Amino acid sequence: MSDTDFQSVITPPPADQLVLETRNLNFYYGTHQSLFGVSMPVKRNGITALIGPSGCGKSTLLRTMNRIYDLYPGQRAEGEILVDGENILGPKVDLTSLRARVGMVFQKPTPFPMSIYDNVAFGVKLYHKKSKSQMDEVVEKALRRAALWDEVKDKLTKSGLSLSGGQQQRLCVARGIAVEPEILLLDEPASALDPISTAKLEDTLEELKRDLTIIIVTHNLQQAARLSDYTGFMYLGKMVEYGPTEELFVKPKVERTSDYIGGRFG
Amino acid sequence: MDRALRRKFANQAFVVICTGAALVALAALALIMFSLLTKGVGGVDLMLFTADTPAPDSPGGLRNAIVGSILMCGVAMMIAVVIGVLAGTWLAEIGGNTPYGHVVRFLNDVLLSAPSILIGLFVYWWVVVPMGGFSGWAGAIALGILATPIVTRTTEDILNLQPNALREAGMALGASQWVTVRSIIWKAAGAGMLTGGLLGFARISGETAPLLFTALNNQFLSFDMSKPFASLPGAIYPFAMSPYETWNTLAWAGALLITLAVLGVNILGRWLARDKDHK
Repeated sequence: MSDTDFQSVITPPPADQLVLETRNLNFYYGTHQSLFGVSMPVKRNGITALIGPSGCGKSTLLRTMNRIYDLYPGQRAEGEILVDGENILGPKVDLTSLRARVGMVFQKPTPFPMSIYDNVAFGVKLYHKKSKSQMDEVVEKALRRAALWDEVKDKLTKSGLSLSGGQQQRLCVARGIAVEPEILLLDEPASALDPISTAKLEDTLEELKRDLTIIIVTHNLQQAARLSDYTGFMYLGKMVEYGPTEELFVKPKVERTSDYIGGRFG
Repeated sequence: MDRALRRKFANQAFVVICTGAALVALAALALIMFSLLTKGVGGVDLMLFTADTPAPDSPGGLRNAIVGSILMCGVAMMIAVVIGVLAGTWLAEIGGNTPYGHVVRFLNDVLLSAPSILIGLFVYWWVVVPMGGFSGWAGAIALGILATPIVTRTTEDILNLQPNALREAGMALGASQWVTVRSIIWKAAGAGMLTGGLLGFARISGETAPLLFTALNNQFLSFDMSKPFASLPGAIYPFAMSPYETWNTLAWAGALLITLAVLGVNILGRWLARDKDHK
């Protein structure tokens, strides 16, 4: 099998359960193409994982889903990304409301230089005018859902930067879900965390997935197998295999997938 | 001599040379401080702050010069901070990589190293002449033009040090670029930007040349910045050159005041910008 000759096997979730779907998505950094016809149907609520070797396009794919790549001139996407049936690559899309629906957590924790409370309230203030007591409720709810409330409830006025790395990352999750998005994108959120902090973050994601769609890029195959309901394996900018996690890990349909999962390359 | 010994010797020699150079620089600084203190402290009394610059051989103080310097430096820093912070932000966040951005950065660097007397001449021609006379405003504008490129440069440098992930995190929540810069990036860069302002202040607080043909001088206390205006450097310069002992003493006291002011503002800045995040 040559590197350019790909078999691509997609086992989609039931059509009536889709929240997001990329169709034939190409992506370019300037003239360099890094995604090739990626089609990925994502099931509503639950966790979808993206795995693959470094540079395969996992993060690039994730960064198309809230159009964060728009910050950089020269980066562009072709094809379709449907969120609730609307193509978000279209010209009339309001990026502010898109990003309210599709949140993102980054590889390194990115707490803002302000108090824990203000970190969580930051996104909410952009969309709603709330009274102090309403905002208190929103902040507490988000911190509880992110499983951080008990650790920070007595120091909400302290700087977000004073927390540990794992707590900072859960603060970023809380900040992301405070605006009540439908989808939360996570780009290798545990790669800078120790095992205990990682376990806590994973518990948080397990809790959240009941009423939130989570798409997570990870280098950690065990993490993908543990957490996710669906998994996509990418290689060289293409989606090699996509389907229910158990099927993909137990009996992959493509040889390259089983090679990667079995540790024979990557 | 074997290799290891030679290397050890070379290392020792290098450490000695570096330490010596550091000591020379420190000694120069210590000497300046020492002569400032010994000759300046004698002139520091209540009268220094309550009386205006005197006629030769009569008692007096520097009240008019102190007030003049504070007002002109204050107005100058307002000009420099507003223009410098906005220009530096534009360079770092918006247009810095466009051809126009490169030109702006280059011209700012030229301005950064322009002789201050040239700035004075420029302001004389474009402000003093049209306004029909020397004024505190002209002096403040000249000092502001001197401080602006310093603030611009440090602002751009500090903003460039902020991680892109922080910008992306702001935008990913749906914030506009302006909101992201204003409420996240500026906050994260606050301490560094403050340092830029302090550098600008330190630079202009002792400038004499650009004031010579802009603010000129004033022997009396004045708050009217549309008239000729007193300043500490403007008082030190003639007083230090004069043969009168009372004037010499006042010149030393004025020099000490400027030095202490720069030191004090720096300490205040450090204190305001101290690392609050880990407390």
